[in-house]
Amino acid sequence: MDNTDTGADSPDHHQTLTSDHETETQTSISDDPLTNQYLTLNDLSPELTSLHDLATRGSWRSILDKVSRARKLSLLTSHPHHHLTYTSYYLIALTKLRRYDDALLDLSDLHDLDSPHYLYESYPHLYPNRSGSMVPFSLRWIHAQLPFRSGNRQETLDRLYTLLDFVRTKLIDKESENLGDSVNIWKRREDFVVNSIISHHLSHKEFNVCVELIKDMIRRDSSNPVVLSKLGYVQMQVGDLEGAKAVFDRVEGMMNEAISGGLLSEIEFKNLVNRNKALVYMVGKDYVSAVREYDECIERDGSDVVAVNNKAICLMYLRDLSDSIKVLENALERVPTVALNESLVVNLCSMYELAYVNHSDIKRTLSNWIARVAPDDFDSSCTRI
Amino acid sequence: MGLSGLLVLPQAFGAIYLGETFCSYISINNSSNFEVRDVVIKAEIQTERQRILLLDTSKSPVESIRAGGRYDFIVEHDVKELGAHTLVCTALYNDGDGERKYLPQFFKFMVANPLSVRTKVRVVKESTFLEACIENHTKTSLYMDQVEFEPAQHWSATILKADDHPSESNALTREIFKPPILIRSGGGIHNYLYQLRLSSHGSAQMKVEGSNVLGKLQITWRTNLGEPGRLQTQQILGSPITRKEIELQVVDVPSVTVLERPFLIHLNLTNQTDRKMGPFKVSLSQSDTQEEKVVMVDGLQTLALQQVEAFSSTNFHLDLIATKVGVQKITGITVFDTGEEKTYDPLPDLEIFVDSD
Repeated sequence: MDNTDTGADSPDHHQTLTSDHETETQTSISDDPLTNQYLTLNDLSPELTSLHDLATRGSWRSILDKVSRARKLSLLTSHPHHHLTYTSYYLIALTKLRRYDDALLDLSDLHDLDSPHYLYESYPHLYPNRSGSMVPFSLRWIHAQLPFRSGNRQETLDRLYTLLDFVRTKLIDKESENLGDSVNIWKRREDFVVNSIISHHLSHKEFNVCVELIKDMIRRDSSNPVVLSKLGYVQMQVGDLEGAKAVFDRVEGMMNEAISGGLLSEIEFKNLVNRNKALVYMVGKDYVSAVREYDECIERDGSDVVAVNNKAICLMYLRDLSDSIKVLENALERVPTVALNESLVVNLCSMYELAYVNHSDIKRTLSNWIARVAPDDFDSSCTRI
Repeated sequence: MGLSGLLVLPQAFGAIYLGETFCSYISINNSSNFEVRDVVIKAEIQTERQRILLLDTSKSPVESIRAGGRYDFIVEHDVKELGAHTLVCTALYNDGDGERKYLPQFFKFMVANPLSVRTKVRVVKESTFLEACIENHTKTSLYMDQVEFEPAQHWSATILKADDHPSESNALTREIFKPPILIRSGGGIHNYLYQLRLSSHGSAQMKVEGSNVLGKLQITWRTNLGEPGRLQTQQILGSPITRKEIELQVVDVPSVTVLERPFLIHLNLTNQTDRKMGPFKVSLSQSDTQEEKVVMVDGLQTLALQQVEAFSSTNFHLDLIATKVGVQKITGITVFDTGEEKTYDPLPDLEIFVDSD
């Protein structure tokens, strides 16, 4: 029997494209190869593998070119869902490049996402035996996020909460139909939307809401040490040090019992626990112990950028500005792909400004290097030149 | 998600408030081509009222800073004044030619009040209730780490909290996360309620006229990464207790008396002040209705009493006689202080039963 999922489900095959640096590459394909004609990404839409590849590498401008060309050459007209798939990549690329007005303009060309134009059953000759929405989940998500970019935060929040409701309804449906793979996908989407909502509330310092949302996530899956740690970070930001410490102790307990829900490798888990410990030392102003914890992380995993970055800050608080600079520069040299993020660069530039009278020279050197190696969406305003 | 645990250095000074700790990283950088020697570094905070020295290496100057080298330090200062502050950093050194050079640097910042506290005092029977409303004037939310009321001598205080809402959150989340008291920025408020009791009851010493000091509120809050701030209020005053200077009490009244037969009532006059009072005159004052009294003083209409020492009392009696039978009232027993020429409010009416012969 065919897997007749309803609603945004062709994208069971092509995953939620996140606007984070790491694009999810998982493609969960329906189990029965005989009835499912979408075996590979390219079966879904022309050259989807290539688009996906470009996205993973952060080559957003190339994506814009590719989509524009495909549209001009009318390559996407055979099936309506092609257009939607390509549009999703197009909008994500525009968003990454911070071209929000262009994205809004392109979005306005679409029909309402719930209109019959985007239902499989409207084209029975193209999609026999298929019903539901062909709108990719990522498109729904972008549609929700964009109003914020043009100043309408409330509209974005409303849309995100509506999207959350949509996801939860789907989850109930899938669970009742016992569709295991689908349930997992929708659960991840649920977490994804909740995380987006939390980001918005965080940026407005609406901490109580964030905490409620995180607690909710924990209730749904109490074996997730990453989410639990995030609760701790919020508590730290708020100033509730006792609460944060209790949470971190719990995470450590989970590590000792090897509970991670399969989310973290042993090294990742150990590093998480060390980093949490280091934060507690830092707020207690014991920078030497914090550095020691971070060193353990770095020895285990040299690409643990959070540990590297935070170690540099601790060194600075120990008045060792020269070494703190060296640690960050070293990371950029050794593991540029993971180390090159705006926060680390901001920290390094702050240190340059403190350390050198002629800091513009050294910042310019850094900026030139970044221009050569960074992905399209790196925001170079963080160098404050 | 923005919660990777990655720390970022502050990009702007932001704001600092009374009760917080000002912290600055100072880097002395020798960007010249020569060594500098005998570096005397001073850092101080200047306000309108005072100069506070934070660092002074004059007793042991930094011997040398090589070309391209640096000398860094971190200074901290607990902010206890409002208004303009200036961090002044100076370096006095010998340059390559042996000339003594001087380099000052200034950093100005303003200190504002982070909170305001409004209080209300209500007295209900034996208890005094203190309501304190804390308002947050800063640009970030404040985590109220500790808000404690320190009662004044002779007072004890208990904080009153509403019962926790019985939520359906499971044991896990309840155990790891008590909701913190977070007052939102720019005008958010939180109310605290305390019940205060006088620890020594009925002690005559306590009953003095005038305002009474209840105690003060100690507030500790935290901001990002647990940065603490501490403030306390001034002494909070309760409502003024108007206690009587003189207390007149009836000690003994016969429940049954006989018509037109003299009887005694025994009274006690207590001086509740800390000074000698009197001499006094005690009489039955005329009522407003000008009706003739049923119960009258038998004998001299005014009883003279001597002065009464501070915090002590005197017992006396009044000779009375009733002119009608039945339930009657003794009205208008009044004390007049001849020293201060002050008449005190009369005692409330006393009931007696007058029997016939």
